[in-house]
Amino acid sequence: MTFMRLCRRPLFIVLVSLISVALHADSKQQLDGNLLLTGMDAGSTDNFKSGRAITLHYNYYFNNWLAADAGLLLSGKTLEESSEDIVGAYRTNIQTQALLLGVKPRYRLESPYEFYGRLGLQYWRTELEVEEYFGEGIPEGASSATDTGYGYYLGLGAAHYVTEQFIVLFEISRFMQLDVFEGDTAYPFDLAINAFSLGVGYRF
Amino acid sequence: MYSVYNGQTLCFADFTYLITVTSNATIARRLSNVSAAILTAFLLTACDIDGGDNLPRVPDQGLFMLADVNRHEGDDSAQVAAAVFNDGEPVNLVGGDLFEVRTVTERVLLKQAGPVTGSYAASLPVDDSVQDVFLDVVHLPVEAREDRWYPIDLLNTDPGPGELVGKSAMVSFPPAVTIAPLSQTVYTSISDIIDISWNPVSAGDLMRILAAVECTDGLATSSYGVVVDNEVQLDMDLDDGNEVISLDKFIYDLDDGSDTLKFISDAALVLLQETLNQLSAGNIDPDFLLKQREANPIESTCEIRLFLQRQRPGQFDAAFDGGRVTASSSAEITLSYIPPAAFN
Repeated sequence: MTFMRLCRRPLFIVLVSLISVALHADSKQQLDGNLLLTGMDAGSTDNFKSGRAITLHYNYYFNNWLAADAGLLLSGKTLEESSEDIVGAYRTNIQTQALLLGVKPRYRLESPYEFYGRLGLQYWRTELEVEEYFGEGIPEGASSATDTGYGYYLGLGAAHYVTEQFIVLFEISRFMQLDVFEGDTAYPFDLAINAFSLGVGYRF
Repeated sequence: MYSVYNGQTLCFADFTYLITVTSNATIARRLSNVSAAILTAFLLTACDIDGGDNLPRVPDQGLFMLADVNRHEGDDSAQVAAAVFNDGEPVNLVGGDLFEVRTVTERVLLKQAGPVTGSYAASLPVDDSVQDVFLDVVHLPVEAREDRWYPIDLLNTDPGPGELVGKSAMVSFPPAVTIAPLSQTVYTSISDIIDISWNPVSAGDLMRILAAVECTDGLATSSYGVVVDNEVQLDMDLDDGNEVISLDKFIYDLDDGSDTLKFISDAALVLLQETLNQLSAGNIDPDFLLKQREANPIESTCEIRLFLQRQRPGQFDAAFDGGRVTASSSAEITLSYIPPAAFN
């Protein structure tokens, strides 16, 4: 996490520079949208059900093998399995959004396929809600809190060129949100969102 | 009746209950039981480690506190269990209410499920200098949630303290129990006598014996708990340094000596096993049902862990209508029962 903090600002500057250079280059662009099946892991005894999310990515190719990657992650409300302890029954849910900025190297085969990766930083906004039930005669309740912060993301994928413009994408990815609720609580956590995704892209 | 010993939660079925089941049943009921046992593939299990259905004897009316703090010989922690019953029903502590147990230097919260329904338990670090133990019902909405993964201090729906918060009890440990070595540790007949001697203190403390019995006949096993107190054996509770107990307090006959019953039970078992063999084309273990049933202790080799416990009643809050709050010291010896057939 400390390493990430150190890298955050220089990497951001590099990425902005790359995009600036790219805007003046004669490169192709790509838009893609992906539907994600997600698994959230707060690194402890959490037990989240699988969830859904979408990502939208814009790529600007500097050359044949490297592009800038900018994107948006929007997750649905991901529920945790209900649990029970000495206090009562409880269930949490998480909903998150993130802005993504990074690079996307690729390797284009002669056949209509390519492999690619994504690596970059994210700025996230995450809402955590907890519903609690204590039993008959005791008022139940829900509480929620929202935090924002930085993290990183990475992914590996394969693309099939249906035509030179239309692409079908399959990708596995991991979005890491660091120090969620740090400063607000004595119990901050890191949230990992692991995902399989299927998407379509358009190159222009 | 229950207690917690040596870090292990044992379910001590009341001895009178065991006797009732094995002695007072009619033959008709026995036959019914045999049928039921066959239908359930002889899955009758004795009072096992799980104490979920092990209900203590508490009054049907009023608010009743039950607590025991037991220190076993050589242990550096005491096992604590506590519960509150309202009109005979266990009261769940929820919403951040919980038992806090303190000594002068240590403090624990009872967060684990205890050995009886509705009870809570924990281990309390103790040493020889610890004499008094204080139990309080407290409201700690954050600490009670400490086993949860999310920020419990940020996301916390606090319903406020419940009605039991503020109620308390206090107990003091009695002197440690030291059991004299037995002249005999292997027994072959349930009419054998166990002669137990210990260091008497005669300070008005109550003595009782609890046993954890594990039996095996080579195929099946059974395990159960037994409590011997003054309801089972007169004057058992006197801290006079000696007790003579018959082995039949701990080893019983599941068939209660009824040859007819045993014959029918064995025949039914054989028939059912044969049916299973045919249905499975011989793919099922030929001893499958024998392994599922409960071993009959009197025909099995049994290990009997005897816990001699010195109990000292404590004090509880006047807000309770009644209670059984004790601190106890215990020591254990292990005996073996080998049935005559196996012994020969």
